[in-house]
Amino acid sequence: MSTADPVDGPVVFDPADFGAIPTSKELRRWMRKVRRGKADRSVWQQFEDIYVVIFALAMLGATGGNVVLNLNDRSAGCTTASCGWLLDTVPLILVPLLVSGMLRVLLSIGPVSASRATGFWLLATPVDRASLLRPSYRLVMVGAVVVGALAAVVGWALFGANWSTVGEAAVLTTVVLLCTACVTVWAQQTGARSRWALRAADGLLVLAAVPALLLAVRPREEGAAASVVLGLSTVPASEPFLSAAEVRLLVISAVALLVAVALVVFTARSLDKLSRQSVVAGGELLAGIAGAAITLDVSLLADVVAGRHWRQVGRVKSRRGRGSRGVAMIHREFLRVLRWPRRLVIGFALLVVPYAVAGTGYDVLVPIVAGLAGFIAVRPLMDGLRSVCRSIGLVRALGMDLRELRVIMSVVPGAFAALWAALATPALGSPAVAFAVAVGMLTGAVRQASARPPSYSGPLVASPMGAIPPGLFSTPIRGFDLLLLCLAPVLLGLSGTWVVAIPAAVCLILFAVNPKQA
Amino acid sequence: MSKAAPRLAVKGLRHLYAERPVIEDLTFTLRAGQAIALVGPNGAGKTTVLKCIVGSAEPAAGQILLDGLPIDERVEVVRRDVASLLDDLDFFPDLSAAEHLDLLARAHGNAEPEDLVDTLLDDVGLLAAADQLPGSLSSGQRRRLALATALVRPRKLLVLDEPEQRLDTAGVTWLAERLVEEKKSGTSILFASHDTTLVDAVADHTVALTPLP
Repeated sequence: MSTADPVDGPVVFDPADFGAIPTSKELRRWMRKVRRGKADRSVWQQFEDIYVVIFALAMLGATGGNVVLNLNDRSAGCTTASCGWLLDTVPLILVPLLVSGMLRVLLSIGPVSASRATGFWLLATPVDRASLLRPSYRLVMVGAVVVGALAAVVGWALFGANWSTVGEAAVLTTVVLLCTACVTVWAQQTGARSRWALRAADGLLVLAAVPALLLAVRPREEGAAASVVLGLSTVPASEPFLSAAEVRLLVISAVALLVAVALVVFTARSLDKLSRQSVVAGGELLAGIAGAAITLDVSLLADVVAGRHWRQVGRVKSRRGRGSRGVAMIHREFLRVLRWPRRLVIGFALLVVPYAVAGTGYDVLVPIVAGLAGFIAVRPLMDGLRSVCRSIGLVRALGMDLRELRVIMSVVPGAFAALWAALATPALGSPAVAFAVAVGMLTGAVRQASARPPSYSGPLVASPMGAIPPGLFSTPIRGFDLLLLCLAPVLLGLSGTWVVAIPAAVCLILFAVNPKQA
Repeated sequence: MSKAAPRLAVKGLRHLYAERPVIEDLTFTLRAGQAIALVGPNGAGKTTVLKCIVGSAEPAAGQILLDGLPIDERVEVVRRDVASLLDDLDFFPDLSAAEHLDLLARAHGNAEPEDLVDTLLDDVGLLAAADQLPGSLSSGQRRRLALATALVRPRKLLVLDEPEQRLDTAGVTWLAERLVEEKKSGTSILFASHDTTLVDAVADHTVALTPLP
């Protein structure tokens, strides 16, 4: 350090007085060394943890793989025109959906992210930022590859495509998603680009809805032979080793891969253009999501995402309520739902799901798929209930007990559920089934939204993953259990009386019980 | 309900954390239009006393009476009469500051709260931030909004835990004046505080708590 004037002048720092700026590798090496010095777990203990994870993944992979293989065998046996049409339509729905979903998810977390600590201590230094952010970038790219490959394999295999087609679809979908991930990194550099990318995601959703709608409304063609499965896969065994179509596909795949790799390399070089704020915001969201994931708390996960959305919105036009007490609260819930109209639009767009499944002829699946789609549609409308259930202070301030509040705050979502199920009735087949679906989606969503987070302050149960609170593993299925219970009479083929009586009883009991306060 | 009964009576209150007593045999009474300040160092049990009174914590022994009747937050009258501000208040992430106050006033039966809300927003210095969502408010502004939630509704007893927290000097002065006005209108106030200026300005009596060994 040198000073211009040692007596009373300002202190001037001369960079030359300091050493060379370290590389990010040197910094990381230093941090690894420090962390190793503080490690409280032996290599063997870490190996045990890794073993448990690998074993669990292998078990899940084997089970899931087996299910997919079986379903593929069954679907491949279907030679009707419906099945062929379905297989032709799947790429037109799945690929835009995947790209849209990837754009939204990645842009919500950054996609390149860093923890607040990294942002404060490392990204504020003159160390090469691109190099510091590269590990996060690599993770995003690997994630895109894994998601693309898995989604394509499962998506195509489930609808009976042959395995060479599945492989081709996996390569092309992976490339598309890899390019999408690169686009999100590019979009992360400015707010305007991010907004455009989000608009593109919305456009892709609409694009995916068109073939889904066509699938939903097309007339059934029972017994007709499949005319087309997929142009790429109908290769007789007697033809040459590589047909012209396969050569063309190979070339397309190779070119696409090259483009993707070039894009990945090019984007990696632009990482230094990312602002600290944009990467730290994603890091904070990921930390919140990780916290929710550790406690297997789906509601907390939704809270984290919604909380971030509202923090970004920041300011709204205040709208005064109407009436008093319960009426005022219902009116406020109604205004709240209208405040985030995208949720309503997506909720109603999900109506296409039961119709699409009905269109494929898998009638037995329609109620359960409709129930799940309805659950996904109605759950985001439960934010008000979620807020009061997690804050005893809010309940006190509102001057009502939690049971009353739960009933009041379920009125608007309940009306939505009733309307949704009524609109799905033609696909569901009967008003009784629609009633069961409506009650199932509502009670399931209410139960999930009013769930208390797992408490680590009470007695804990020993497990291979360490001490966990009892009931932790039942948290993710909370809500879905009631949905299944309401749909059980439909799935078991019981009479219409039971189809109505059981959901009605579930509904009455749920709203009569006083929920436990968090 | 006896007219002679004090607004709040705490008799022989005892509370345990993990079987360790944090409050032992605490007794005091608070009359209408009076204020009592709970003072003492961190860990003395001030917040615990307030939590027992609003029903967030269950006493191991003792009685808490509101207007002569045992206090129970499950009773509607208790929820109507006791306005509290403890550190467990959360906000709806998608409702603006003005909408929070509007909703709260209406939930307590005020069908025309517009003027009250506007006045209160002005009083707590949040008029300019009326349309802001809680996530975009500063911690001081959130504290002011929290204070306003206790004042926008009908109340006979105000229970406040360190209401001066995160307020600037002008904010603490405003708070003291406001609480004195509350007393004049007949509201009883029980509050915990480390701010001697606020305690001196508002409290008629103090209850000094000390950490138990």
